[in-house]
Amino acid sequence: MSVQRTRYTFDGLPLADVDRGTNILVAGPALGGIRTLVLRMMLREHDREGAIFITADTDGPATLDAYERLGGSLDATRVGVIDCTEESVDDADHNVCAVGSPSDLTGVGIEFFSLYESLHANGATGVRTGVYTLSPFVLYASPKPVYRFVHTMAGRIRAADGLGVCAIDPDTVEDQTLSSLSQAFDARVDLRREGDDIAVRTRGLADQSDGWQPVDLDG
Amino acid sequence: MRMERIERDDTHMADLTVVCTDPDTDERSATGQTLAEGGYEVVSCGSLAEATEALEAHSVDCVVTEYTLPDGTGLDLAGRVRDRSPDVPCILFTNESSSAIRTDRREDVVVEYLPKGMPKARESLVRLVGNSVSQCRQVGYPLPDDEDERLAALAQYDQPGMETADSFDRLTALARTHFGVDVAFVGLVDAHEERFLACAGENWETVAREDTMCTHTILEDELLVVEDVDADPRFRDNERLAKLDIEAYAGVPLRTPGGAAIGAFCLTHYEPRSFSDAELDDLERFGDEAMEQLELRRMLNERDDTGAETGEAATGSEHS
Repeated sequence: MSVQRTRYTFDGLPLADVDRGTNILVAGPALGGIRTLVLRMMLREHDREGAIFITADTDGPATLDAYERLGGSLDATRVGVIDCTEESVDDADHNVCAVGSPSDLTGVGIEFFSLYESLHANGATGVRTGVYTLSPFVLYASPKPVYRFVHTMAGRIRAADGLGVCAIDPDTVEDQTLSSLSQAFDARVDLRREGDDIAVRTRGLADQSDGWQPVDLDG
Repeated sequence: MRMERIERDDTHMADLTVVCTDPDTDERSATGQTLAEGGYEVVSCGSLAEATEALEAHSVDCVVTEYTLPDGTGLDLAGRVRDRSPDVPCILFTNESSSAIRTDRREDVVVEYLPKGMPKARESLVRLVGNSVSQCRQVGYPLPDDEDERLAALAQYDQPGMETADSFDRLTALARTHFGVDVAFVGLVDAHEERFLACAGENWETVAREDTMCTHTILEDELLVVEDVDADPRFRDNERLAKLDIEAYAGVPLRTPGGAAIGAFCLTHYEPRSFSDAELDDLERFGDEAMEQLELRRMLNERDDTGAETGEAATGSEHS
């Protein structure tokens, strides 16, 4: 008998479990540990969960390496990457799909939906999607396709009981852009770094304190 | 932040028209039949040209298309949809693998993709069409959290005769002079476009929701002020605003007593300009006045409706 999971959990992070179908915007400085935070939020709780990365800041192979170092297991029937960096190349063995430019949001969307469907067809229950980061899409594409892409991706995740974790570096986009993009997400996690101290704060999630919580990203 | 949107009730699906484009007769017929069984009105097309005609002839809610068409591609069709009715969701329902799809000339259209080879693909398509329409999944602008409630509230105020109401013309003419701006208008923001109840200084018809600045104003608690449109990342690439010569903007949301932002009272200028705190206070007063007019008209309409019903009931009782 299979046990139906009802929430996504974040082991070792000061984040409460979230409902299936939740889309979270994670905002913080690129050098402050946000990449590690997103990768850890993407760690699958068990083998049947799936994970899809959409990367534009770092390439697909580097993302998978970093994920593995943090304890993520790389089962190609459950884990894949849409690599949107300019040097991206397809790698079927590791489920890396190359799009070639963050300006091609039509291409990113099609590869994402294709991979999403194939992970489900492989039997994945509950797929975590991590975007690292949204900033290059905002910089290289115009606002309308970016909204369209974010709505379409978040909608598919919501309908499929998935989890969306979308990173953005507030220093790389203008305030107005960040504020109107936030509108598409159910919740927001902010990360700040002061010296060696890193803390996260959550807004929009039930059962979660809204103050700054210290986090040990190396732990 | 967005809340879960309410799924559209099945009984409303019959109101939705889906253009189903596939050059293969058998596949087109099978997909069309499944969509019709799902409760949709289906317009079947075999080519890009036929589908383009269908977009002109019908009020279309969703477009489902194969990738390879005899006279173009499904992404070319999506491009035409974005030009005509930008909010309409497009779904590539195709035998092509994702890697065979060329997106280089169509990077901006953004579509859903569903491979025909998946188990129960046509049943999935029916659900995907419903979700894409009810969740406004392909809109190119931010949506308010309370969009469904907002549209329901708008319907109560958006009554025949509002456009011809002289009070909005007087109010916008007065605002234009008072602030010394090129244009002052009252606009209602509906599901897909903004319509103008009055527009002093210009004669604008409608503006698509993805192009109008009021789309962003209705998300604000108080006001949206953009002193230089070219310096704002949300608007500087917006060709429609450039055509309308909007270089500066200040708008206040028109909020119903229940809190729904149904439109905006706005000032625009052909040059960048600033707005003083005193001017913005006055703009809020103009907004309050416009909303009060809308509220009074809604109450009058409601009273007329109730009166008419009572009249009918009385007539009915006479004949019983």
